[in-house]
Amino acid sequence: MKTTTLKKASCVGLTLSMLTGFAACSTGASETSEATTIPSQIETTAETEEDLPYDFGYGVTFHADEPVTYTMFFSDASWYPMVETWQTEGVFKKIEELTNVTLDIKSYDSNDYMEQVTLDINAGNAAYIIPKIYDDSAFVDGGAIVPISDYVQYMPYYTEFYNTYDLSEDIKTITRANGKYYKLPGMKEANLINYSFVIRKDIWDAAGIDVVELEKNWTWEDLLEALIQVKAYMVEQGMCSESDYIWSDLWCGNESGQGSGGNLLGVMAATYDCNAGWNIGNGMRFDHESGQFVFSPTTENYKQFLITANSFIEAGILDPETFTQDDATATAQYYNGQTAIMSINQGQWANYEQNMTAQLGAGNYENYVITMPIGSTRNSTVSPERLENGVMISQKALDELGEAGFIQMLRFVDWLFYSHEAYDLTKWGVEGEHYYVDDDGNKHLMDGYCCGGLGYGNDEAESMTDIRLMWGYAGGNFWYGGTVAEMTDNLIPPVADYVARDTEYRDTPPLAPGIAPTEEQNEEINLIATPLISNVNSWTLKFVTGQADIETQWDEYVQSCVDLNSQGLVDIYGELYTG
Amino acid sequence: MSTKENTAPELKEIHIHNPKNRIKESAGYRIFTVINTIIMILISIVTLYPFIYLVSQSFTSEQAIIAGHTGLIPEGFNIDTYIYVMTRNPIKIMPNIFPDLKVPEFIVYYMNTIFYTFVGTIMSLFFSSILAYPLSKTKLKVNKILSPFIIFTMYFGGGLIANYVLILKLGLKNSMWGFILPMLISTYYVILMRSFFMSIPKELEDAGEIDGLDKFGVFWHIARPLSTPIMATMTLFYAVMYWNNWFNAKLYLQDKSKWPVAYFLQTIIRGGGASDPDATQMSANIKSCAMVLTVLPIICVYPFIQKYYVQGMMLGGVKE
Repeated sequence: MKTTTLKKASCVGLTLSMLTGFAACSTGASETSEATTIPSQIETTAETEEDLPYDFGYGVTFHADEPVTYTMFFSDASWYPMVETWQTEGVFKKIEELTNVTLDIKSYDSNDYMEQVTLDINAGNAAYIIPKIYDDSAFVDGGAIVPISDYVQYMPYYTEFYNTYDLSEDIKTITRANGKYYKLPGMKEANLINYSFVIRKDIWDAAGIDVVELEKNWTWEDLLEALIQVKAYMVEQGMCSESDYIWSDLWCGNESGQGSGGNLLGVMAATYDCNAGWNIGNGMRFDHESGQFVFSPTTENYKQFLITANSFIEAGILDPETFTQDDATATAQYYNGQTAIMSINQGQWANYEQNMTAQLGAGNYENYVITMPIGSTRNSTVSPERLENGVMISQKALDELGEAGFIQMLRFVDWLFYSHEAYDLTKWGVEGEHYYVDDDGNKHLMDGYCCGGLGYGNDEAESMTDIRLMWGYAGGNFWYGGTVAEMTDNLIPPVADYVARDTEYRDTPPLAPGIAPTEEQNEEINLIATPLISNVNSWTLKFVTGQADIETQWDEYVQSCVDLNSQGLVDIYGELYTG
Repeated sequence: MSTKENTAPELKEIHIHNPKNRIKESAGYRIFTVINTIIMILISIVTLYPFIYLVSQSFTSEQAIIAGHTGLIPEGFNIDTYIYVMTRNPIKIMPNIFPDLKVPEFIVYYMNTIFYTFVGTIMSLFFSSILAYPLSKTKLKVNKILSPFIIFTMYFGGGLIANYVLILKLGLKNSMWGFILPMLISTYYVILMRSFFMSIPKELEDAGEIDGLDKFGVFWHIARPLSTPIMATMTLFYAVMYWNNWFNAKLYLQDKSKWPVAYFLQTIIRGGGASDPDATQMSANIKSCAMVLTVLPIICVYPFIQKYYVQGMMLGGVKE
């Protein structure tokens, strides 16, 4: 009898605990419906206290009355590793001299940076300031990171930029289900083109192609026709044979392309308003015509993109080994003059020129960066979100410094990452010492200095001092985003020219609405997307290289995506975005 | 008496390989031997080629590499890369003792690796053997409780974060001991040593005890000298493990002056992902030069000690 009562009691207990569990689950689910609270303009908190132990404000250099030390993670790149002079006379010293703040740097190799930072945050060993964060989703729910949106009103430089360039819609894209955001993003006035293609203009001109005129409105078909003409010329001149390819690209191979087709397929797909290559993400893209999120790799646009990509291989122009080779193979062919087109980004121009001068001799070649051809849209391939990687602040800072000390630190962070003064310092060094500004307002490095990060190469004798290697200026931890003037102040004329042409000839892509999945939804999205995207990448490469036939096997491919629950992603996004 | 009578018969008369005495090989066997040899040569070429290519690349000029002119014979032969690698980025070591002492980073990493390998191997051998020896005593009742706990660690661990927190709380982060101590005892090697110790005749140990040795004395003066083969094998295993390890350095060594060369190598090989627009790839000749310098000691030593590798794998495999 007693046993029966005990059993009944335990059953009731279990039922109650299950019900509590369900209730807890449903509370979690309701988070999705919580509206975001991102204001279109942030009102700066007017500080009434007059005896603050520091100077701050818009246009004012942050300066603490007493020396303070803040810990900061630092992503240390192996190609310009941090050396002692950065601390004793370089960027960190100058920051200290200006602000009275010493940065206690916890540096990790850039390859392991995210892994190490994650480990430290999870182990309760986080630094106060955590820069160079691309995806903050792993840290949002752990409570180790401050929801920074609660404090941005204390940051005059941040709010000024946010308000001036109306970034509220962009910020919504990083806002979480609880209506808050957790990182201070790098913010841009506008997005500028970075990746495009460089061509051997001297050969194109000789082949009779007026690329400057053609590129204004050209399509991928026009580019293909031009390349066929260039190849014919090169064969005629004995520069290559009929069986050679004149386009062998980098950033697409197994390693750098990460098995997705990398940069080439990424930018090409973007002109067809779909995701592929590096930009595949989870495949979801907002269709502005229908006003809903769609799974991009099964759309008609994607099919058109595949047909286009494949046409370059079918025509014997693009080397199919592009998608398996290492980058050095592609660059060697372009530097040698075996190929006539290759991918480029803003940072690589000086590098290409230097290597081609060594291989072909100065004056024996002419490079030109082309405007991206048009696919199904005239939109530029720039990302529509005007945000960059950003800075997180650890909860530890708030706990250890107290609110007043925390706000003081935030105002220092505000100056360091959002003020024009700090931007110039961390990018160019000290005015009059490392760089000067000419009468037209353009910045130049002083004689005797070079900087790989700013596109200023060393001389042949390598007698110049690299301000990045020596003192840590122009490193990747501080300056990202900014006004167009700031972002373009180091662009050398040919690069600035192609950025300007892209802005002039192409449209700015519209911003997709922000969605804020909960932790559970995020997990579900990842769970579906991982095998699905792997399948998409595999089929995409088969279609592009001609191993699979687009016309006859397209339905089979779409069905394979459906089998891997592509509709599941669409449903989650549909649930999150109600228009 | 002729001299011939006093000398032994000539070798060729009794030699087993004398064509007259040799068992005749079948045609099939001869074909098999030829094919086998060809396959072995091909496999050797396949495994040797990348290494020779690497060595060649390390002596090739940078411009030749950029132009894609890399092969088995270095083009623009030079040792500039070696000089560059061994002199670049001087860093401070032991600033408390020698405030102005700066040593090129590669040399520092190399010396660190030698220190980790030397100290780590000695410590590992000592601690592994004093753990393995008592475990080999089947009559020791506590072994029945201890052994499962030790073997458990072969299959299950606390996980990355738990280990990291442990090292952090022990104050070992950024300490050279943070590199050595987590690897101090390998359960697998302890089990191999235990099996070897079990094969030592009990009577020898009893004799030692009768002569007045205590338990540690028996281990030190009897079991240890009889265990040279397993000690040699374990020295090799542990030394290779310390020489090649970079993961502990990645996790626990933030201070570059404590990095082992393997981690430095790992960072320069992976350095500069193409998706980072700012990235510049480290030149291929620098990478290959660092690789050659890193593997060179192991390659030089390995031919002389490879027999221990094979022996080590079979030790304890057969129970007598």
